[in-house]
Amino acid sequence: MGVIMETGPAVGGLMRRFLASLRDGVGFDILLVGAAMVFLIAMAGLPLIYNVLMSFQQVDMFTLGSLIRPWAGFQNYIDVVREPAFWLVAKNTFIFVFFSMGGQFVIGFALALFFAQNFPGASTIRGLFLVSWVMPGLVVGAIWSWILAGDFGVLNTILKGLGIIQSNVFWKSDPAFSIWAVVIANIWLGLAFNMLLLSVGLAAIPRDLYEAAELDGANALQRFWTITLPMMRSTIGAVLSLGLIGTLQQFDLFPAITEGGPANTSTVAQYWSWQMSFQLYDFAKGATISVMMLVLVLIASIIYVRSTRHEVRG
Amino acid sequence: MTAQIELKNIDKHYGAFHALKKVSLSIEKGSFVALVGPSGCGKSTLLRSIAGLETITSGDLHIAGKEMTGVPPRHRDIAMVFQSYALYPHMTVEENLTYSLRLHGVGKAEAKAKAAEVAATTGLSALLSRYPRQLSGGQRQRVAMGRAIIRNPKAFLFDEPLSNLDAALRVQMRKEIRALHDRLGATSVYVTHDQIEAMTMADWVVVMRDGVIEQQGRPLDLYDQPVNRFVAGFIGSPAMNFVDGVISEDGRGVVVGAGDRIPLARQAEPNRKVVAGVRPENLRVAEGAASFHFEVGNVESTGSATYLTSKDGALQLVQTERLGFSVGDRVGLDIDPALVHLFDPQTGARI
Ligand SMILES: Nc1ncnc2c1ncn2[C@@H]1O[C@H](COP(=O)(O)OP(=O)(O)OP(=O)(O)O)[C@@H](O)[C@H]1O
Ligand SMILES: [Mg+2]
Repeated sequence: MGVIMETGPAVGGLMRRFLASLRDGVGFDILLVGAAMVFLIAMAGLPLIYNVLMSFQQVDMFTLGSLIRPWAGFQNYIDVVREPAFWLVAKNTFIFVFFSMGGQFVIGFALALFFAQNFPGASTIRGLFLVSWVMPGLVVGAIWSWILAGDFGVLNTILKGLGIIQSNVFWKSDPAFSIWAVVIANIWLGLAFNMLLLSVGLAAIPRDLYEAAELDGANALQRFWTITLPMMRSTIGAVLSLGLIGTLQQFDLFPAITEGGPANTSTVAQYWSWQMSFQLYDFAKGATISVMMLVLVLIASIIYVRSTRHEVRG
Repeated sequence: MTAQIELKNIDKHYGAFHALKKVSLSIEKGSFVALVGPSGCGKSTLLRSIAGLETITSGDLHIAGKEMTGVPPRHRDIAMVFQSYALYPHMTVEENLTYSLRLHGVGKAEAKAKAAEVAATTGLSALLSRYPRQLSGGQRQRVAMGRAIIRNPKAFLFDEPLSNLDAALRVQMRKEIRALHDRLGATSVYVTHDQIEAMTMADWVVVMRDGVIEQQGRPLDLYDQPVNRFVAGFIGSPAMNFVDGVISEDGRGVVVGAGDRIPLARQAEPNRKVVAGVRPENLRVAEGAASFHFEVGNVESTGSATYLTSKDGALQLVQTERLGFSVGDRVGLDIDPALVHLFDPQTGARI
C-alpha cells in the first residue's frame, strides 16, 4: 500500500511530462513522424520486402499461402531473362519510357513557355489542360482506342485528309505501330502534369534576370540556354524523375488500347509483370520483373537526389 | 559637349494610365544625372524606357546620336544596375562579370583578364569564385557594378542601387560610384528617391512628379531657386517650412500672424495671399527684436545640431549651436530676407 502511494505521484509526474511534451515539445513531432512511418511501413515497406523476397523464392500454387518457401537464388532472374519475350519487352519498355517522357517533357516545356508569355487568357487556357490530368487512365485509353481505331478512327481520317497517308493505318493491331499507339496516348495523358510543374518552375525565375541578360546582349535563344535552363535544373530533375516513375507505373492504357498485343509487340515490363502474376499465375516471375523495375527507378532517384543536392537558387 | 542621351516629348501609357507625360531631357556625354521624385512618379519607367525594357508610346529617343525606336535592349549598348542587383544566381562572380563578354564571343583568356581587372577596381578580387548567395549585400552591389563597367557601355543606368544597403555603406558606395564614374568618363543616369543622394552625387538633377519633369538643373540651383512649392519641399533636408500669409501693405513682408511678419528683400504685390517658404537651416534665433515667433513643441538634439519644432508642427528650425530651449518656450526668430521664397497658394508656382 505504502509502495503504491509512493509511486503514484511519480508515475503521474511522468505521465504529465509525457503529455506536456506531446503538447509543446519534440513529442508532438515524434508522434507525427511516427504515424507516417507506421503507415509507410505497413502499406509500402512490407509489401515491397515481400515482393523482393518472393523474387528469390520458388513459388507455386502449393506454396502461395506461405511466407517461407524454397530458396531459388537468382534462378527467377535467369528464367525471366531467358523468356523468349524478354528482349522484346525490354525494347518496348525502353521505347515506351523514353519516348513518352521525351514527348511529355518537350511538348510540356514548349507549352509552359508558350503560356508564360502572358497573353490574355493564358492562365485560363492553361487551367483547361488539367482536364487531361483528372481523367482516369482507362477512360483516356478508351478514347484513344477510338481515335486510333484502324477502320473508323478519327486520326486516320485526318491523316488521309491531309494526304499524309493513303490507306488506313491499323495503329493498334499493326506490330510496327502498336507500342506507338500507347506512347501517343500516354504523352497526351502526362502532358498537363509536365506543363504545370514546368510552368511553376518558369514562374519562379525572377523577371529582372532576363532583363539583365537582355541588356548584357543575350538574344532569346541565349537567354533560354544561359538563364532558363540552368535556373530550371531542379524542376527539370523533378519532372523527369516523376515522369519516369509515372511512365513505369502506367498500366491502364495497355488493357484499354492494345492489351500488349499483337504478339507482345506492345507489352512493357509493368504489363508483363501483371500478366505473369495474374494471368499465368507465375508469381515469382511477376515479382522478379517488378524488382528489376524497382532497381531502375532507384537508380534514377539517386541521380535526381544527387543533382538537386547543390541547389543554386536563392 | 554633345548629348549622349536625348529624349524628346516621351510619352508612356500603361493601358489607360499615363506614366510619362511629354518628358524631354538631354543628357550630356560624361555627365552624372540624377532622377529624383516621390514613389510612383515614373523614375523607373523613364530609366527602363531608355534601356528599351519598356516601349515608349510616342516621342523620340536618341542614344549617341542614333534613333532608338525599335532597337532591342541588347543592341543599345547600355548597362543597368538594378535595385535587386539581378545577379545570375547560378553563376560565380567571375561568370557574372564575364557573361556579356562571353555572349559577344570574347575569348576565354581575354575575358578572364578583363574580369580580374574589373574585380580589382571594384574590390572583388578575392571573391571571384563565389556564388552570389555567398556574398554580402555590399559585395553583391559591387558585382552588379562590375558587370556594368566590364562592357564599357555608352551609358550606365542605375535604379536605386543603394537602397538595400545600410546607411554607412550607402555613404561609402555613393562616393565610390561617383569616383568610378569620373575615372571611366562615363555617362550615368541615376534614379533615387533620396534627394541627398541626388544632390551629393549628380552634376544635374531632374525632379519628377506624376510623370512630369518639374524642374532640372544643377543641384545648388534647385536648392536656391526652386520653381515651385513641390521642388522646394522635395529638395533639402529637413524639408522647407511653408507658412501661409498675406503680403503686408508696404509689400516688404509677409504677415503670418498677429504682429509676426517675415521680411522680404524685394517689393511684392501688397495684400496678396502667398505661401512663404523658409528653410529650417536659414532660420535664426533672434538676438534683439524678432520679426516673428513660435512656441517650441519639440526639441531634438543630435549633438552637432539642435532641431526645434513648433507646437503646431508647421515650423522647424535647425541650429548648429546647442540651444537651451524647452517645450513651451516662446522663441523669437529672424531670417535673412534674401532667403525667403514665395509661392502662389493655388498653383504652387514661385512668385
Ligand atoms: N507594368 C505596369 N503596368 C501599369 N502601371 C505601371 C506599370 N509599371 C509601372 N506602372 C505605374 O507607373 C507609375 C510609375 O512607376 P515607376 O515604377 O516608374 O515609379 P518610380 O518613380 O520608379 O517609383 P519608386 O520610387 O517607387 O520606384 C506608377 O504609378 C506605377 O503604378
Ligand atoms: Mg522605381
